[in-house]
Amino acid sequence: MATIEKISNKISRRTFLAGSVNAGLFMGFGGLLGGCTEQEAVQSLSLPEADLSKVFSPAVWFNMNAQGEVVINIAKAEMGQHVGTALARVVADELGADWASVSIEHVDTDPKWGYMVTGGSWSVFTSFKLLSQAGAAGREVLLDAAAALLGVDRSMCSAANGMVTAGDQSISYADIVARGDISRSFTQEQLDALPLKPASARTLVGKPTKALDIPAKSQGEAVYGIDAELPGMVYATPLMPPTRYGSKINNIDDSAAKAIFGYQQTLQIEDPSDNLQGWAVVIADSFPTALKAAAVVQVDWAAGDTAEVSEADIFAAGEALARDAQQGALVVDDGDVAAAHAAAEDTHEAVYRTGTALHFALEPVNALVEFTDGKCHIHSGNQWQSLILPALASALEMPETDIVIHQYYLGGGFGRRLWGDYMIPAALAAKQLGKPVKMLWQRADDSRMDCVRSPSVQLFKASLDADKNVTGIEHAAVAGWPTLTLAPGFLADGQKESGKYDTFSISGGDHWYSLSNHRVRAINNNLAQKTFLPGWLRTVGPGWVAWGVESFMNELAEKQGKDAIEFRLSLLDAAGKNSGKAPESVGGAARLAAVLKDVRERSPWGGELPSNEGLGVAVGSGQERTMPTWTAAVAHVAVDPQTKEISVKKIWQSIDCGTVVHPSGAMAQAEGAMLWGVSLALHEGTEFENGQVKDRNLDTYRPLRMSSVPELDIKFMPSEEFPTGLGEPPLIAIAPAIAAAVFAATGERVRDLPISIG
Amino acid sequence: MIKFKLNGKDVQSDSEGETPLLWVVRDELNYKGTKFGCGIAQCGACTVQIDGTPTRSCVIPVSAVADKDVTTIEGLNSPAGLALKQAWVSEQVPQCGYCQSGQLVSAEALLRSKSAPTDDDISRAMDGNLCRCMAYTRIRKAIKTAAQEV
Repeated sequence: MATIEKISNKISRRTFLAGSVNAGLFMGFGGLLGGCTEQEAVQSLSLPEADLSKVFSPAVWFNMNAQGEVVINIAKAEMGQHVGTALARVVADELGADWASVSIEHVDTDPKWGYMVTGGSWSVFTSFKLLSQAGAAGREVLLDAAAALLGVDRSMCSAANGMVTAGDQSISYADIVARGDISRSFTQEQLDALPLKPASARTLVGKPTKALDIPAKSQGEAVYGIDAELPGMVYATPLMPPTRYGSKINNIDDSAAKAIFGYQQTLQIEDPSDNLQGWAVVIADSFPTALKAAAVVQVDWAAGDTAEVSEADIFAAGEALARDAQQGALVVDDGDVAAAHAAAEDTHEAVYRTGTALHFALEPVNALVEFTDGKCHIHSGNQWQSLILPALASALEMPETDIVIHQYYLGGGFGRRLWGDYMIPAALAAKQLGKPVKMLWQRADDSRMDCVRSPSVQLFKASLDADKNVTGIEHAAVAGWPTLTLAPGFLADGQKESGKYDTFSISGGDHWYSLSNHRVRAINNNLAQKTFLPGWLRTVGPGWVAWGVESFMNELAEKQGKDAIEFRLSLLDAAGKNSGKAPESVGGAARLAAVLKDVRERSPWGGELPSNEGLGVAVGSGQERTMPTWTAAVAHVAVDPQTKEISVKKIWQSIDCGTVVHPSGAMAQAEGAMLWGVSLALHEGTEFENGQVKDRNLDTYRPLRMSSVPELDIKFMPSEEFPTGLGEPPLIAIAPAIAAAVFAATGERVRDLPISIG
Repeated sequence: MIKFKLNGKDVQSDSEGETPLLWVVRDELNYKGTKFGCGIAQCGACTVQIDGTPTRSCVIPVSAVADKDVTTIEGLNSPAGLALKQAWVSEQVPQCGYCQSGQLVSAEALLRSKSAPTDDDISRAMDGNLCRCMAYTRIRKAIKTAAQEV
């Protein structure tokens, strides 16, 4: 799966520049822009920063002023993962900075930052080496300057805690910056040769700390997109068409709204980018007025042709596609499943499905847009600025470079804010009106036009020998594909010229169990695709693919009469392609086996339970084979024999994500992801009805609340391996583990998510 | 014109009486700590206290608070309020943070009514406050931590 590499490779010819800028020390790590030499780049360090950005595109930079204060710029979105703290700890550790002097700044869009995306649990994984090298390069520069200032040999100097020490002499980083003359560049080769600290020498990475964003969030002082204001702005809320695509406005009648004090007008939106089809926008003096007016403006739409589509239609289309052997792109094609099938003594087949799920980020999507000085300024929280900027450029018919997205805290991301479509109607309205527009989507609208997790259908067929040993598995996974509509350039090529596929909609199918005959097909559900915009929901592919894979593994273990953990361990031999690869998956499936054994020991697996209670197990290796975080979970559930209500009593999970950078943040991500797993397994879900999602607010869409939270027992495996991702992987095993526990408690096999029995 | 006390100060609103208190507090009086989440009193992000009682400000008309005391996160400075804000940091509660003003406002009322709340007390008092990041385990822990400090 090449997607991470595709994104990382957008930063090429990496260079580290260090120099005196505005009486401080500038340290930047990134790529030189086309045509610029190292020498020219170093020379421009003496120029104002604005000029430096013409030759240099830093993925990260940091400044140190003459007081020794370090400001680290963060190009990632803060949406609850405390990403700035984690990334800054990586830089500051290698830099030898005094953590108390470090602060972070979340930056607005600018081409100089390179490719901007926050998702996929990638931030630490894709930044760790880069940021470590940037910190190390900064440390080397400071050590060289300190040696000159102290008049000692460079080899005598060591750096720690914002000081350089040489024998009985020392000098602070602040003094070095104030007195030193620094102008250096490092090539990629020089950076690769820099000494990085061994894990045992780290002072910040892996050590406890408090997240930098938490104090403001505990005082009501954190500023989100919804809090942004500009003088002269008007308030807006959209009127949405009956179908995602193909709806047209016949007529707008706002006569009833005209009686509302503060109502201004309703704009029909023409979107040259075609992202919005049949939208209107209500403009008013205030939000409550806009919301009130929106309720009485009558829009007559000619609906698109998906106005009747239901969840059942999408499932039916999905199952038909799964059963058609000609469909889909080949993602795995090991051995010969057809031969295994022909030779089988027995077979086992199952269809697994997941229903539509919403992001339901608590801050409804919103944007404040102003056109000024020939530029379009957008104030909004967003996860994938580099994806929405071209769409905005097309909608506004202006160059991407004239559009700036000013970043704010995100009141929840979970993948919803990877697609910044909510900026488009606000921007078009602001352009049309010639004044700043602050647009907020009502909650029901936020749900209705959510880029939901697509309903999915998976078909599994296993071939078994006379002893019920698995000789082959054929797996087809069908869903709407986010990447197909939103970022088709990131589609991957299937094997044997079988066509393109969305890696984000099959990840988890290419698991780490060794199977001599294994075929996986990824199939797009074209009815889903044309009915709605499929999105990336927290844990993305593995979030629903593993529901089928892991549940089917539990079925096969049962079929063989084998313990579900022993059964898995027999397939996790870490042989061949499952042996792993440095640095991201050293050890391969052996590490998955290790977390599985660990959770077996820590949980009451195999012990006696009261009647109507059960334990279930599942594993995960998300988000991708190229970035596996090894997880194994055991769930303990109780099922009320009368009401059939399922309650989760406790979940044990063992997690190996390599090096843990920010322990408290890592634990918080694991806790949140596991409870998301419980919520998606038992509490939340909706369905398409008449071409739209049916449940649009909390009266019927019901995520997990405090009173249903199970006990969590989470362990991070001690590791010095390369750090992988954490925001999503601890979710993967939860639903299949709960379903297995329900089976153990009741004997009922559940194949649909969300789970319900009786 | 509707007069009331906001965080101990006399304020007035020129909005129509039926305007939800939330928007008066946020956009007219400019206290942005209180958040909009669902608009139907189900998520708790908009929780304020009216004469000390946690209330969903997204559905309460501003006319209903005439001459009353309204407290938002910005004014949550009772001993319990300060202990909670501190515990939110010490227990590292917030993730995205968007719901936390409402969580704190609900929790403060709980601690004023029960100095040592049980798990059931906490579940009952906090079930109306959705945390989409699902930081529930830490919210519960921080309430207990704060209870010991008050």
